[in-house]
Amino acid sequence: MPGIVIVATAEGQGTNPAALELLGGGAGLAKALGCPLEAVLVSGSGTDPAGPAAKLFAGGARRVYSVRHERLGNGSPEAALEALTAACRRAEPRVVLFSADRLGLEVAPRLAHRLGGSMITDAVALEVRDGDVVATRPAFGGKAMEQVAARATPQVVTVKLRALEPAALDESRSGELVEVPVDLDPGVDRVKLVERVEEAAEGPKLETARVVIGGGRGVGGAENFKQLEELARVLGAALGASRAAVDEGWVPASWQIGQTGKAIASDLYIAVGISGASQHTAGISGVKTIVAINTDPEAPIFERAHLGVVGDHKAVVPALTARLKELLGK
Amino acid sequence: MDLSNPMREVYWNITGKNLMYVLLVPVLVAFFRGFYSKYRLWKIGRPTRRRDNWRRRLAGFFRGAVVQEKNFRDRYSGWMHFFIWGGMLVLFIGTANVALDEYLGVPTMEGLFYLYFQSLVLDVFGLLAIVGLAMALYRRYVVRPPRLHRTPQDAVFLGLLLLVLVTGFVIEGLRIAVTEDPWAAWSPVGWAFAAAFRATGMAAETMVGLHRFSWWFHLALAFAWIACVPYTKLTHLVTSPANIYMRSLGPKGRLEPINLETAEFLGASNLRHFTWKQLFDLDACTECGRCQDACPAHATLKPLNPKAVVLDLRDYMHEYGPLYLRRAQDDPWAAPAETPDGRPVPVMVGAVIAEDALWSCTTCRACMEACPVEIEHVPAIMDMRRFLAMDQASMPEGMADAIRSLETRGHPFRGTGGARTDWLQGLDVPVLDLSAGGGTRGAAGGAGADGAGPDADFDVLWWVGCAMAFDERNQKVARSLARVLHRAGVRFAILGNREKCTGDAARRIGHEYLFQTLAGENVATLNQALGNGRPRRIVTACPHCYNTLKHEYPDFGGHYDVVHHTEFIRELVDSGRLKLDGEVRETITFHDPCYLGRYNDVYDAPRKTLKDLSGAEVREIERARESSFCCGGGGALVFVEERIGTRINQTRARQAAETGARTVCTACPFCMTMLADGLKTTSGDEVQALDLAELVDRATAPAGPAAVGAGTGASPGDGSR
Amino acid sequence: MNIVVCLKQIIDYEIPPRAFRIDRQKKKPAMPDASLVIGPFDENALEVALQLREKAGGGRITAVSMGPESAIEALRKALAVTADEAVLLSDPAFSDLDPFGTARVLGAAIKKLGGADLVLTGRQSGDWDAGQVGQLLAEELGAPCVNFAFRAEPGGDGRVRLYKETPGGAEILEAGTPVVATVTNAETNQLRLAKVRDLMAANRKPVPTWSAADLGLDPAALAAGRIEVLDLYVPTYDARCEFVTGETPEDKASALARRLVELKLV
Ligand SMILES: Cc1cc2nc3c(=O)[nH]c(=O)nc-3n(C[C@H](O)[C@H](O)[C@H](O)COP(=O)(O)OP(=O)(O)OC[C@H]3O[C@@H](n4cnc5c(N)ncnc54)[C@H](O)[C@@H]3O)c2cc1C
Ligand code: SF4
Ligand code: SF4
Repeated sequence: MPGIVIVATAEGQGTNPAALELLGGGAGLAKALGCPLEAVLVSGSGTDPAGPAAKLFAGGARRVYSVRHERLGNGSPEAALEALTAACRRAEPRVVLFSADRLGLEVAPRLAHRLGGSMITDAVALEVRDGDVVATRPAFGGKAMEQVAARATPQVVTVKLRALEPAALDESRSGELVEVPVDLDPGVDRVKLVERVEEAAEGPKLETARVVIGGGRGVGGAENFKQLEELARVLGAALGASRAAVDEGWVPASWQIGQTGKAIASDLYIAVGISGASQHTAGISGVKTIVAINTDPEAPIFERAHLGVVGDHKAVVPALTARLKELLGK
Repeated sequence: MDLSNPMREVYWNITGKNLMYVLLVPVLVAFFRGFYSKYRLWKIGRPTRRRDNWRRRLAGFFRGAVVQEKNFRDRYSGWMHFFIWGGMLVLFIGTANVALDEYLGVPTMEGLFYLYFQSLVLDVFGLLAIVGLAMALYRRYVVRPPRLHRTPQDAVFLGLLLLVLVTGFVIEGLRIAVTEDPWAAWSPVGWAFAAAFRATGMAAETMVGLHRFSWWFHLALAFAWIACVPYTKLTHLVTSPANIYMRSLGPKGRLEPINLETAEFLGASNLRHFTWKQLFDLDACTECGRCQDACPAHATLKPLNPKAVVLDLRDYMHEYGPLYLRRAQDDPWAAPAETPDGRPVPVMVGAVIAEDALWSCTTCRACMEACPVEIEHVPAIMDMRRFLAMDQASMPEGMADAIRSLETRGHPFRGTGGARTDWLQGLDVPVLDLSAGGGTRGAAGGAGADGAGPDADFDVLWWVGCAMAFDERNQKVARSLARVLHRAGVRFAILGNREKCTGDAARRIGHEYLFQTLAGENVATLNQALGNGRPRRIVTACPHCYNTLKHEYPDFGGHYDVVHHTEFIRELVDSGRLKLDGEVRETITFHDPCYLGRYNDVYDAPRKTLKDLSGAEVREIERARESSFCCGGGGALVFVEERIGTRINQTRARQAAETGARTVCTACPFCMTMLADGLKTTSGDEVQALDLAELVDRATAPAGPAAVGAGTGASPGDGSR
Repeated sequence: MNIVVCLKQIIDYEIPPRAFRIDRQKKKPAMPDASLVIGPFDENALEVALQLREKAGGGRITAVSMGPESAIEALRKALAVTADEAVLLSDPAFSDLDPFGTARVLGAAIKKLGGADLVLTGRQSGDWDAGQVGQLLAEELGAPCVNFAFRAEPGGDGRVRLYKETPGGAEILEAGTPVVATVTNAETNQLRLAKVRDLMAANRKPVPTWSAADLGLDPAALAAGRIEVLDLYVPTYDARCEFVTGETPEDKASALARRLVELKLV
C-alpha cells in the first residue's frame, strides 16, 4: 500500500534533525490516511546505514529504503536525484516529505517530475482533509498564505524547518531496512565540481540570512553590540545596523540596512534601538516577521513590527538571549 | 598763455608721437587675433538664442555690469572692483577725449571741461584705481581668502596696471613741475607729484628728459596690458559684460528639454555638446571664487567646486579646443581623440571633470546666484550628468535605486510599496476619480474609496507629491496641511493613485527620458482633472513639484496656475479665511528651501506667516534668503549616501542651532528629511524641524494654545497615532 | 552561446503587508493599482546572462516570458538592457498554470527556439514563490540543473562555469550544455540600468507572441494541473504589532522568547 515516505540523510550514527520533524508530521498523516510511514535514507559510501536507520525506526518509520553511494556524500543534487528516483520507484509512495533544506530545495521538484507526481514547496503545516493531504504555505513574501492539495501522485512536499513537531523516539521500535542499489555512472554527471570556496566570515550573510538582528542609535555604543552578537550566535543570525549606528562608527558600513544600505529578506528581523525611519525600513520590506525592541512606544518601527517590546535593550536583550538558550536547548 | 581759458598743450615735450600709432598696430593685432581665436572656440558649441528681448537684457546689463549689484554683496570686493574698473574706464575716456581733441577738433582739452573732467575727475579716478589695486593686492596677498587662487598671471597684470597708473601720475607731475601749469591745483595728485619732484631739487633738463622717457614707458606698459587682455583673465573686461547681457532669461528652474526622438547625442561629453553660450561662459569667469564660497558641496569637502568646474573646462577648451576645429570625419559630434603629436586628449567627463564632482551637486543654484557675471554652472553640470545617466547609465547607487523605483512604481522611494493614499487614513480628503464616468465627491478612507469626478466641486487641486505621500515624517506634514485647508474652507481634491512623481528627481539625476515619460503621463492626468469648468489652481507643499509643475511642464503642454503652500497659506491669512489665533510659543528660524527661494523667489510669504504666529519669535539664520545653504537633499541627493567629506545637512543643522532657535521651520519635504536627520545628530532632541504647515496647523487648531513639543515633531492635533 | 532567460512579471513585491489585498474567491491578489515588476531573481538571472555574454565576447540572449499581454513590458526591459531577442508566450490556456504547466510551456518555447546552451531562471518567482519552474524546466529539456547560481563564465570546451552559493560559501562548477541554472542574488548581479539609446531601441523592436497552438501544446492537457489551490488568505498576525507584556524587562524578554518559539520563528 502506498505510504508516506520521508527523506532523511545520514549524519554520523544519526540523521539530519529535520528527519524527526518529518517523521512526527508524517505519522499524523499516515494515521489519518491509514497508510504506512516509511523513509528513504541517503548516505555516502562510508557510513553504515544501520545506525541512522535505527533512529528512523525509533522515530516511527516502518521501513527504511537505504540508498548509498560515495557521490551522495558531497551534496551533488544530480546524484541525489538519481538515487532518490530509484528509491521512490521502489517504494511507490503516496506522499514524499522533504525538509525544505538544500537537498529538498534542489531535488524535490525534479523528483516529482520524474515520478509524474505533484509538488508543493515550503509547507508550514500539513493536514488531511477529505482524504487529501493539504499543505499550507506562505506566498507573496509571507503576505498571504495558501492551502494546496495535490491532483497527481505521488505528492511531493518540502516542509519548512520547525514547522512540524518532531517525533518522539521509541528505541524499542524496529522495522525493515531495504537496500536499494544505486548505479551512478560517473559519466552521466554533467556538472563537475571545480572548486569549493569556504567563506571565512563567521555567521550567515546579511542578504541571505534567515534571521537578522539590527542595531540602531539606541544601542548606545560599540560595546553594547557585543550583547547583540551574543544573541545572534544563539539564533544563528546575521548582524545589521541602521545608518545611525554605522555613522557613529560602532559597526562597519557593510552592516547598514536600508535605502542606501542592504536590503534583507530574512524570516525574522529583530530591530534593537531602531526608530524605524522609512529609509531604514526600505531595506526590510522582504522580511517576514519583524520584532522591535525600543524604549519609545511611539517609535514608528512598531507600525511595521509584528512583535514589540517596549523596554531598554540593555536589560531586554541579555535576558532574551539567556531565555532562548534555555528554550532552544543550547 | 591765455589764463582765462584753461588748457594744456597736448603732447608737450613729445616728439615723434606718430611712432605711437606704429606701435599700436601690433597691439591691436594681438588684441583682435586673441579674441578671434576665442570666438572660433566658442563657435564649437551648438547654437542657442541669446539676443532676444533686448530691453530686459539691457536692464539686466545695467544692474549687473554697470551698477554691479552682486559685487556689492561683499562690500570690500564691491568697492575694490568698482575703484579699479571705474578708474580704468574714466582714464580710458580721458585718453579718448585727447584723441577727439586732436583729430576731430572737439575742444576737450580746454575750458571748464578740461578743468573739471580731464584734470580733476581723471586725477581722482586714477587715485581711486590705485587705491582699488592696493586693496586687491592686500586682499590677495595678505588676507588670502581661500576663494581666490593665486597665479603668477594675477601678480603680473595687477603690477602692470599699478605701474601704468603710477607712471601716468609721474608724467603729469613732471609736466606740472616743468611747465609750472597754472591750473595744477585741478590735478591734485599730479600737483603732489610735481611738488615731490621739485623738492628733490632735480634740474629742469633732467625732469624734461625723465618726462619723455616716462611717457614712452607708460605708453609701452599700457599697450602691453591691452595686448594681454585676450590672453589672460583680463578677457573678462570684454566677456563678462557681454555674458551679463546674454544671460538666461528663462525661468530659473527650467532645464532645457532634449528632443529625444531626434537627439544625436545625450547630454554633454565634449565641447561640441555644449551651446556656444556655455563655452562663452567659460571665458567670462573672473576667477572671483564667489561660487566656490557659496557651494555647500565644496564647503563640506566634496570633490566639487563650481569655480573649478568652470576653470577646468576653460583650460580644457583653450588647450584642446583648437583640435575640435578640424572637422571630424565620421561622427560630427565626436571629440578629437589625440593631439597631432599623438598624445591622447583627456575625456571631458571623467578626467577633466570628475564624475564624483558631478554627482556631488545638489543643484542648489547658490553658485549661479552668487556669480557676478551670470555664469550658468548648473545647466552645464546637468548636461554632463545627462551624459552619464543616459548615455552611460552610470550614477550613484542610491540614484539608480530611485530610477528603478520610478520606472516601475512611479515614485522614487525604494522599498515603500504602500499606496499613495495611505497617509490620509481618517481624514476627509476627497480623491478625484478620473476613470470613465467619474464619481461624486466623497470622503476617502484610502485607496479605492469613493472619489470625486473631474466635474466635482473643487477649487484647488492639491498635488501631494511622493515625499509627502510616502515618507513617514512628511506624511504628518500632509495631514497638517489637510487640516489647515479644511479650516480655511478650501474646496480641494487630490489625485490619489493617479499622481505620479513629477519627475524632478529623474530630471535632476540627468535621466531626461524618464522625466519626459513621467511628465507626459502627469500632464495628461492634470489636463483631464483640470480640463473642464472654471480655472483651478494647483497647490503643492513640495518646492520641487512646484518648480517642475510651474516651469517645466509648459514645455510638455501643461500650463497651470501653481502656488506653493507657503504662498497659499499667506493668501488665506491675508484674506481672513485663516485665523492664526492659537499661540505658538517658540523661537523659530526659517530655512529657505533652494527650489522655493533661489529658484522661485518666494522668501517673504513664509516669513510673514511666521511673524504672525502669536508668541513666536523669529530669528534669521546665517545664510538666509538668496544665499541660503542647501539642506543637501536637492538634485536627487536625498537618495544618495553622502560618503565623501562631512554631511551637508549637519552643517546646516548647526547653522540653525546657532540662532538659538528651538524650531527650524522649513517648507520642503526633502529639507525636512535632511534637517530632521542633521538636527538629531548635531543637537539630539534640543532642536526640532517643523514644516510651516505644521506650525499653522498648531496656530489654527480649535483646541487653542499649545506649545510645540520637541522630539518627533508630531503635532498634538495629529490623529495618526 | 545561446542563452535563454526566463522572466516572470509579478505584482510589486515591495507592497507592504498592510496594503496587501486578495480576492479570496478567485484565490488571487486583488490590487488593480499595484505596479507590475520583474521577479527580483529573474532580474538577477538576466544580469548573469549579460555578464556571461560580455565575458564570452559574444553570444545570443533571448528573453522569454509567459504571461498576459502586459508581460511585454518585462520583455522590453530585457531588450533595453540589450537582450538580443524576446518572445512572449501568451494564450488564455496559459493563465493560472501550475509550475509543471509553466515549465512545459517554457520548455516547448525553448525547443521552438532551437534549444539553448544555457537556460537561466530566477531561483523563485517573487510572488507565489514556489521555486520549482527552473528545475522542472531542466527535466523538460533533459538537462542538468544548477541551483542558487549567482555568476556564470565561459568554461573550457564550450562548457559553462557556474558559481553556486552554498550555505558554507560557494562552489565553482562546470557544466556541459545544455544546462539550466536558477539564479540567486549577490552583490555582483543586480540588474544594470538601461542606457537610454537601448531603451528607445527596445521600444521599437518587434516582440513575437507565441500561443499554445504555435508551440504545439494541447490546452486541455495543460489545464489538467497537478495541484489545486484550495484557499488563499492574508494571515492575521501581520495586521498589527503585538506588544509583549511583563512587569520587568526580564519578564518581557521571557515572554518574547516564548512567543518566538511558539510562532516557530527561531
Ligand atoms: C538620504 C538618506 C539616506 C538614509 N539611508 C539610510 C539607510 O540606508 N539606512 C538607515 O538605517 N538609515 C538611513 N538614513 C537615516 C534615517 O533617516 C534615520 O536617521 C536612521 O535610520 C536613524 O537610525 P536609528 O533608528 O538607529 O536612530 P534614531 O532615529 O535616533 O532612533 C534611535 C531609537 O532608539 C531608541 N532607543 C534609545 N535608547 C534605547 C534603549 N536603551 N533601548 C531601546 N531603544 C532605545 C529610541 O527610542 C529611538 O527610537 C538615511 C537618511 C537620509 C537622509
Ligand atoms: S548648484 Fe549648489 S552644489 Fe551645485 S555647484 Fe552650484 S553651489 Fe555647488
Ligand atoms: S564662475 Fe562666477 S562666481 Fe565663480 S569664479 Fe567665475 S565669475 Fe566668480
